[in-house]
Parts: sequence; structure tokens; C-alpha cells
Amino acid sequence: MSTRLEAEHLYKVFGRRPDQAVERLRQNEADREELRAQGTTAAVIDASFTVEPGEIFVVMGLSGSGKSTLLRMLNGLSEPTAGQVRFDGQDLTALSDRELREVRSRKISMVFQHFALFPHRSVRENAAYGLEVQGVPRAERERRADEALALCGLAGWEHSWPDELSGGMQQRVGLARALATDADLLLMDESFSALDPLIRRDMQDQLVELQKKLKKTIVFITHDLNEAMRLGDRIAVMRDGRIVQIGTAQDILIRPANDYVASFTQDVDRSRVLTAGAVMEREVRGDEADCTCETATAQTPFTDLCAMSARAAHPVAVIDGGGEVIGVVPRQRLVGFLGDEEGAPGTCDSSRGEGGKVLARA
Amino acid sequence: MPRIPLGAWVNSAVDWLLANVTWLFDFFKAVFTGAYDGVNAVLQAPEPLLLAGIFAVIAFWLRGTVAGVLTFVGFAFIDSLELWGDSMVTLSLVIVATVIALVIAVPVGIWAARSDRVSAFVRPVLDFMQTLPAMIYLIPAILFFGTGSAPGIVATLIFALAPGVRMTELGIRQVDKDLVEAAEAFGTTPRNTLLRVQLPLALPTVMAGVNQVIMLGLSMAAIAGMVGTGGLGGAVIEAIGQLNVGLGAESGLAIVILAIYLDRMTSALGTQVSPLGRRAAAKARVAQGGLKIWSYRPRPQVAVIGVVVLALVAGGMGIFGGAAGGTDTTADGKDVGKGEKISIGYIPWDEGVASTFLWKEVLEQRGFEVEATQFDAGPLYTALAQGNIDFQTDSWLPTTHAEYWKKYGDRLEDLGTWYEETSLELAVPAYMEDVDSLEDLKGKAAAFGGEITGIESSAGMMGLLKDKVMPEYGLDEEYKVVDSSTPAMLAELKRAYSKQEPVVVTLWSPHWAYSDYDLKKLKDPKGTWGEGDGVHSLARKDFTADHPTVGKWLKDFSMTEEELTSLEAEINKAGKGKQQEAVRAWLKDNPDVVDKLAPVRSSGSGDAPAEAKRPLDVAWFPWEEDVAITYLWKNVLERRGYTLNLKQMDVGPVYTGLATGDLDLNFDAWLPHSQKNFYEPNKDKLTDLGTWYEPVSLEVSVPSYVKGVKSLEDLKGKADLFDGRIVGIEPGTGQMDLLKNKVLPAYGLDGEYKVVDGSSPAMLAELKRAYAKKEPIAVTLWSPHWSYSEYELTKLKDPEGAWGESNTIHTIASKKFPEQYPELTKWIKGFTMSEDELGTLEKEIKDRGQGKEEAAVAAWLEEHPDVVGRMTPQ
Repeated sequence: MSTRLEAEHLYKVFGRRPDQAVERLRQNEADREELRAQGTTAAVIDASFTVEPGEIFVVMGLSGSGKSTLLRMLNGLSEPTAGQVRFDGQDLTALSDRELREVRSRKISMVFQHFALFPHRSVRENAAYGLEVQGVPRAERERRADEALALCGLAGWEHSWPDELSGGMQQRVGLARALATDADLLLMDESFSALDPLIRRDMQDQLVELQKKLKKTIVFITHDLNEAMRLGDRIAVMRDGRIVQIGTAQDILIRPANDYVASFTQDVDRSRVLTAGAVMEREVRGDEADCTCETATAQTPFTDLCAMSARAAHPVAVIDGGGEVIGVVPRQRLVGFLGDEEGAPGTCDSSRGEGGKVLARA
Repeated sequence: MPRIPLGAWVNSAVDWLLANVTWLFDFFKAVFTGAYDGVNAVLQAPEPLLLAGIFAVIAFWLRGTVAGVLTFVGFAFIDSLELWGDSMVTLSLVIVATVIALVIAVPVGIWAARSDRVSAFVRPVLDFMQTLPAMIYLIPAILFFGTGSAPGIVATLIFALAPGVRMTELGIRQVDKDLVEAAEAFGTTPRNTLLRVQLPLALPTVMAGVNQVIMLGLSMAAIAGMVGTGGLGGAVIEAIGQLNVGLGAESGLAIVILAIYLDRMTSALGTQVSPLGRRAAAKARVAQGGLKIWSYRPRPQVAVIGVVVLALVAGGMGIFGGAAGGTDTTADGKDVGKGEKISIGYIPWDEGVASTFLWKEVLEQRGFEVEATQFDAGPLYTALAQGNIDFQTDSWLPTTHAEYWKKYGDRLEDLGTWYEETSLELAVPAYMEDVDSLEDLKGKAAAFGGEITGIESSAGMMGLLKDKVMPEYGLDEEYKVVDSSTPAMLAELKRAYSKQEPVVVTLWSPHWAYSDYDLKKLKDPKGTWGEGDGVHSLARKDFTADHPTVGKWLKDFSMTEEELTSLEAEINKAGKGKQQEAVRAWLKDNPDVVDKLAPVRSSGSGDAPAEAKRPLDVAWFPWEEDVAITYLWKNVLERRGYTLNLKQMDVGPVYTGLATGDLDLNFDAWLPHSQKNFYEPNKDKLTDLGTWYEPVSLEVSVPSYVKGVKSLEDLKGKADLFDGRIVGIEPGTGQMDLLKNKVLPAYGLDGEYKVVDGSSPAMLAELKRAYAKKEPIAVTLWSPHWSYSEYELTKLKDPEGAWGESNTIHTIASKKFPEQYPELTKWIKGFTMSEDELGTLEKEIKDRGQGKEEAAVAAWLEEHPDVVGRMTPQ
């Protein structure tokens, strides 16, 4: 049973007669706009996905796309109108309130967009909150809270109060609170959106670092595709309550499911997302790596690849773990990916068209 | 529209509740009264200043040094107003009501916050409770809980509940949704979400609600005084009833002090109790800095120790204080009662209170131990019939209390009437000259604004007035009877009376208003008001057998209207809780009453002359020579065992008072000229005790440094020198009129000089100022006057005799004075004073300043040791 979290045909409809609305949506008798006109809001429509252990699964979408509602169905804060949520094989929708609370207190924790720290508790008491709910004795919960705080870079701030901290530090407390319970699943609801861009970057980096150490399963909600691509092992793009595409960052970048997703990816800094594996030409002769020149692997980032290509006299070879050549990256292709242009170069009437060869020969 | 019989439904609902659920009300009553009695006992026990200290320590702890000091001052002030007991009663009431209100309000508020449906139901109920006029549930509260603290607590509770519920709901609802969600996301149970997140965060708002509950409770506690809850509210209601603005202000101020204290303490407690408040306060302290001593606050441990120590001391003092006291003042020989117990019941009507406390005092003087208990009419008869009390003095028979008499008469003893002249009537002030009878009212509606000021529309006499009296005289078209209340009627009477405006009010006899104001009872030739009741004394069966002496006294008891109304007025003035003091004061003025009511054979004898027993009423004018002579006589006569009541009055009333015998003496009659207008009409009813100072004169005076001005003639042509002014005294006095109309024209000065109207003190101030700067000045003055000993002044001669003949100063007395005070009459007739003596005495009094007259006289007598002997030769 390798799947940690599994969502199956989740629907969430607010308003009158939700079950009937779900049925009409299933039968394609009505779309979201028609339901809204009748005063019923379909927040999440037919969402299905799985999250593997140790994976960061990002749900990306604009505000109103239903991503926060989806997240709240994952820990039972919001009960699905239809569909199932399975966590470690257990159907959360079938649990009683008490059992659900038990799951939330031990297995699933959450980090909020606006931190949601308790202003009447010190930093340590905030971090220890989840443990307090579990009924962990004071000494132990304080020790574990302090550990979680230290992990988030807040050692020495235990006795401060939330209102004395900056936004970034407050969110670290929020993160520490979520980590302190040792939950397997971390739900993060736009957790970095309220922070300044620089601090947001820091936090993202720190989360990635932490994840390397802790190997949690994380569902991360964001409206920022850059953030999604930095963090996400896989990304689900939502629009109007529906998941329109699920895939890795490069999948989405290179093969957007529709124009909507494509329009999103335009603003993305491709050089940060793409790797050699995504841009290489897969048609190989097999001898491209026989020289002593540098070779790349499928994971080599795009920027490094550019640097190699600039130093190399011929297209850079991409090899797998066993030294087999799996692809090559001609310079032309690098420039094409950067400009989102994958076609072959055209021809030029003037002699300047030879310039490329001159440059290539140099 | 069909009439919806809502009122009838409510009535039957109330009846049903009364018949079937009394056990529930009894239970609540027991709880409320028990809680109240407990709290009140604790608050009443300690010495006021110690408890004030405890309050101050609490304030010191919660708010800092300034608050502590102010608290102590405030409560000490309440104590000095002698409102301590009342204040603690009110405080107990508010505390109990607040605690009960919170026990109800907080859970309801929480419930409403968690359920929109409950909230939607609770909100209109709260509106209903808060806006329904208090009287509407105050009165049913009496039906269910009787009088006393319980209905007061219930009324306060109903009124004060709303903000508690509202603020609790608001506080919980305004807690950040994110935080609640966060709590849920970590698996917190709803109960713990409430206790650990919502309530702590809502606490500042909830505490604001607590604060509001207390404030509203306090304001309601004042209204609850109406149902016999007592305390400051009772004092306020009583003050209103007596039109005693002073007492009202005092008790009102005490309420304000309590309110401010409770408000500040609960708001401070709000910050102390809630973690958020503590955080905010700590931050504010850091930000503020500055002088620490004012904001210094002891730590809780210190405060608790302080409170406990003071409380222990207070407790100890209470125990020892309780053991002391209880002195016996009964004179030997008059001890008829020998400590026998007698209990009197009374209805809180003016004449009932007056006669009851009169008898309480008289019987105590005769050695009985008397307990006076207040009842409603019904319970009073029940208690009397059951033998729980011995007698009561306020039974209106045969009409008003006929029902009770019919029911209990066979178990009671009628001790006869002591007051015959009860009556209901319309009354007008005596200055309404041509209105003497109800018939005279006809056609005069315009003068009275077409209104008759009535009392409570529920009163029997109001029905009689509207249904019988007015139609009989054909007044019902012309006049409107204004329903109000007894206090409002009296206030209206007072207002109109002071402005001499026409007013006609419903009144009854006996009533103190007849002694305070000069009123006419309108005659009722057609007898529409019906026969008046007599006021009877009733006793339990066998009372006269058990107490034959007292029984005889009560049977012989009677009072005149004048006696009764003056006693009522005295009690009225003294205020609540001081009835017996008032009776004692009144007995001082009516010393023979005790012996008349409760005759015993032996009579006391003292070293003072027999005539000294009765206090002398001496009227005086605020004129220098009269102050001097009056206080001189007071000093000297008190050495001889006399008592003098000094009354400052105007000239007219003094002569009237002396003529009617209400006053005994006045030492400052300027005769035969100045006060001729007053003296002549009353001559036959006065006694002239002769001259003690002569001559007196009126004059214009200038300082002696103004050379060349010796006589009034010399003023001519010197207007420039005096700036054309003669500084006068009060306009309208005889001297000023004389100066303007006769003296100045006689010397041809009226064109040249202007007489400046002012006052005696202003004239003297002006003289002092000019004298100090050696400026020329002409002032209106008279002899004797201390300024002649203080300054060197020239009395301007009056060769034309324009000021008229010289007066001398006489002592005048009431007609009966010589026979009442033969000794004193001799002394006064034989006394005279020299100009030097009077001048130096006046100066002594002036130098010492107002309020120190007695000390000045004493000092002056030291220097003039022969005077006492001269005044009162032994």
C-alpha cells in the first residue's frame, strides 16, 4: 500500500440540494455557471488524485478555483458532498467526528495562509499546541516543540509572543507547530502567499531543505506557478473547481493540457524548471559521449546545461546512471526552449545566416 | 378591530403562576435573599475605613497607586456622608445580581454564539428585557417575591442580563475564524476550542460585558429602591419623595463613586484576567516609561496579603465592636417599663412614621424596650391579629381600613382616635387670595392653566376627585386633573410656591406640606369629599391587660394638626434612618409632649432656672451690631443654662414671627423710626424690652484725611474729588431710600452725586481699598459700626436734620415673653452697651471672620470680664 493519500471523485457543493447538483454535474446536465445562477456553488468538481509518501503535491489555481476547499476535504474539516478521501487506506469520509479528530491530531497537520497563531500563547505554547491536544505531558511536549522550533530556525525565540515576530518568523512558528506533532501528512494552504517575495523564497528553500531531511508527505496549495514548480514533485492545476492537469513541473511546462494551463506557463522562468531530460533530443546514435567532453544527466538543470553547451564544441550528450547516452542537447534546442519555440530554425537569405556556424565553430 | 384581551391573559397568567408555582419563586427568593444576606453581612461587618482600605488595596493592585489613593478617598467620602451602610447594601445587591447575571448570561451568550438559531431567538428576548419599562416587571416582582432584596435583585438581573449575553456572543463570534479552524485542524474538541481558544480570546469583550452588567445593575439598583430594597436607591427614592435635593445629591454622588470604582476595577480586572489584556498592558508599560510610582502596582501576592490582613483586622474589630454599645439612658424614677419589650408596627405613611417613632422615643424614655417594624397595611393587620406585634397607631377608620377591620376587628383592641382631622382636599397657596372654596375654582381655569396637579392615578382620592368632586362643582369641563406622583405633585407645588404662581394641588391632612408652606385647604360646602377618617391606635387583644399603663397612655393620646405636621416635617428633613433623631429634635422644641403623652408623677429639677428649659428662638439680621449682640447674649445665656436657637431672617418675617409667638426675641429693633413700618402694625402683639444701645444714627462718612469735609453741606461742589459717587449699600433699604429721596435733595447734592447701589460688604471693601490708598471716598454708614474703630472716619454733620431723628436699638420679644421668661426679661431690660464696647466687639467678630463668631465673643468677654455679670446679675 504505497499510496499515502487518495482522492476519488471528490465533489463539494455549497447551497441547497447539493446531492442533486452533484448528480447533474456527473451527468453533464449542468455546468458550474448554471448552478451558480440557481444559487448553488460547486466548489470542487470530480477531483481525483493520489499522493505518494514523501512527495510534495502542489495544487495550483487562481483564487476561487476550489483549491482551499479541496485541501479542507483532505483532513475532514469540510465534508465532501460526494466521493472519497483515503488516507493510508482509511476512508476519512466514513469516520466519526471523534475518530476524525484523532486522525487530525496525530496524522495530519496543517499550515495556514495567515499563520493562525494563537495570540494568547507564547511561541513555545503555539508550537506545542498539537501535542497538547494529543495529551502529551508538558515536559515532553515542550521538548518536542523546542526541537520543532529549532528545526525551523527559531531556537531562542521560545518565550517570545507571536505579535513580536515578523511575518516570516510567524510562519516558521506555524510550520513548527505542524511539524511538532510528527504527522505524516502536512497540508499547507497558501502558506507562503502572505509573505514578502524574498522571505517567500527563503521559506521555499527551507521547506525543500526540511523535506530532504524529514520526507513528509506534503499537499501544498498555491496560486503561484513559480512556487508550484519550485516545490512540487507533481502539480495539479485547478480551474473552476476541476483539476485540469496533473503532472510534473516539466510536463506542465512542456505539454500543457490546454490553453488555460499554457497561458499560466508563459510567465514561468523556464530556465529554473527545465532539466536536460526535458529538453534533450532523444534520437541518438550512441557515440555522442565517446569524446572527453562534459556530459549532462537527465537531472542537470537548464542553466548548467547552457553553461556546458557554451563550453562544448558540439551538442552536449545526456547520459543515464549506467553511462548510456539517452539524448543530446544541441544549442539550438536550448535557445528554443527558453523562448518556448520548439520548431527547427528557418533559413535566412543573407550571408549572415552563416553566422551561426561561425559561432559554432569558434 | 376586535379587542385582544392581552392584559387579561397576562393577569390570569400571573394569577396562575402565583397559585401554582410559588414553590419555584420561594426557592429563587431563598437563593437570592440568602446570597444577598451573606454578602451584605460580610460588607457591613467591618469598620468602614478598614473596608475602604481593602477596596483601596484592590485598586492599588489592579490599577496602581493613584487609583488606590482615590479609592480610599472616595469611600471615606461616602462614609463621611453617613451613607456607608446604604452603599454597602447597594454594593451587595449589585454584586449578587451581577454574579447571578453572569452565571446566566455567559452560557446563554456562548450558546447563542454557536448557534444562529439560538442567537435569533435570544436577541429579541434581550431587547424585550432591556426596553420594557422597569416598573412593569418591578411590580410583578413584588407579587412573586415580596418586598426586600429579592425583587430588587430580580429587576436588576432582568435589566442587566442583556449586555452580558450580547457581549459574550459578540466576543466569541469575533474570534478570528482562522484560529478556530486551526484549532479544529489539530483535532481540538469543540469543548476545548471554546475553553482554550474562543473564551480566552473573547475574554476582553466578555469582561466589557461584565462591566456593562455592573453599571446597568447599579443604575437599576437605584430604581429598585422603590420596592423596598433599600440602600442608596432607597435613599434616592426617599430624597425624591421629600423633595430633598441635598440628600438626593449625596446619595446620587455615592452611587457615582461606587459606579466609577466598580467600572475601573472590572475593566482593570479584564486586562488582568485575559492573557491578551496582560500582553497589551505589559507592552503599554514598556512603551510608557516615565514616573514609576504612579503606575506602580504590587504583585498579586502582596495585594492578597494586604487584603487578608485588613480583612482579619476588620473581622476582629467587627466582633469586638459588636460587643460594645447599647447604653441605657433612662432617667431614674421615670423607668416605668423596666426593660419590658413592646413592638410597634407601622405603615410607611407620614403620620404613621411620625406617631410610631414618637411613641418609640417616649416609651424608651420611660424605660421600655421598643421595636418598630415597617409593614404594608395588610400584613400589619395580620401581624397584629396574630399577636406578633403589640400595637400600631395608623389605622384609618371607619372608611379606609374598613375591610381590614371587618376581617380582624374581633381580634383587635381599638384604643381610640388620636387624630380626628384627617381629610382629603384640594389646596392652593395662601397667596391665591380669592380662592377659598371649591366653588371659587369655577371660571378660574385660565389662572391655573386649566390643570389640577394630582398624585398617583391609582390613589383612591384621585378617583374620588375625578368622579365625584369635580362633577359636583362643575369643574370637570374646565379643569384637567394631571396624574403624576406624590413627589412630582410636591415638586410642582414647591416650584409654583417659590415663584408665587397660581397652583392647585390634591392634598390631604395631615401633611407636612401644610407646615412647610402657607396653604389653604379649599372648602367643600357640598361635602363631596365625604367624612374624614379618624386615625386610630389599634392593639392586639389583651394588650391593655398586659400593659395597663401604656394602654392608658395610648387611649389618652391625641395630637393637634400643628404638632403632627411639624413632627412630620422634622422627620422628613432628617431623612431615612434618622426618624428617632428627628423625634428627639422635635421633642426639644416641644418639651412638654413626653409628659403629656406618658405622664409620671415625679418631675425633674436642674440648676438652671425653670424658664431655661425651653429653648429660645432668637432671630437675627446679618448686620454687624446684631451679630455682635446676639452672639454675646448666646454666650452669656448659655453659661446660665439657656438654649438659644439662632435664626437668621429678614426684617419682615422677624416681626411676623415675634407677633405670632413663633419667635421669642430679636435684639436689633431700630426704633422708633427705621423699623416703624414693621413695628406699628404688630405693636400689640409684641413686647418692647427697652433700649440697649443709644444713640444710633445714619450718616454719610468720609475718611478724616479728606480735609475740609465736615458736613453734608461741604460735599457741594466737591463732586470731582469724590468722582461724583457716594458708595451706598443694598438698594431698597430704608437708609438708601432716605439718602436718595431726602438727604441728597435737602443739600442740593442729587444733581451732583450718584448713589452707587451695592451691598454692605461691597461698600466696606470699597472703603478699605480707598482708605489704604488715601483716596477720597464718601460712604453710606451708620453707627454703631466697627469701621469707626477700625478707620478714622468723619461722620458728616446733618445740620438740616435730613436723616431724621436718631433711633435707638431695642430688644423686642413676643407678647408672652415676660411671663415665660421673667428672669430673662429683667436681665435684658437692665442691659446697655457703650459705643466702644459694641465697636470693639464688632471688630473682634469681623477680624475673626465668618463662622468664628462664638470664639470672637468668648475672646472679647475675656477682655471685658465685667460684662457677664452686668448682663445676668445673679
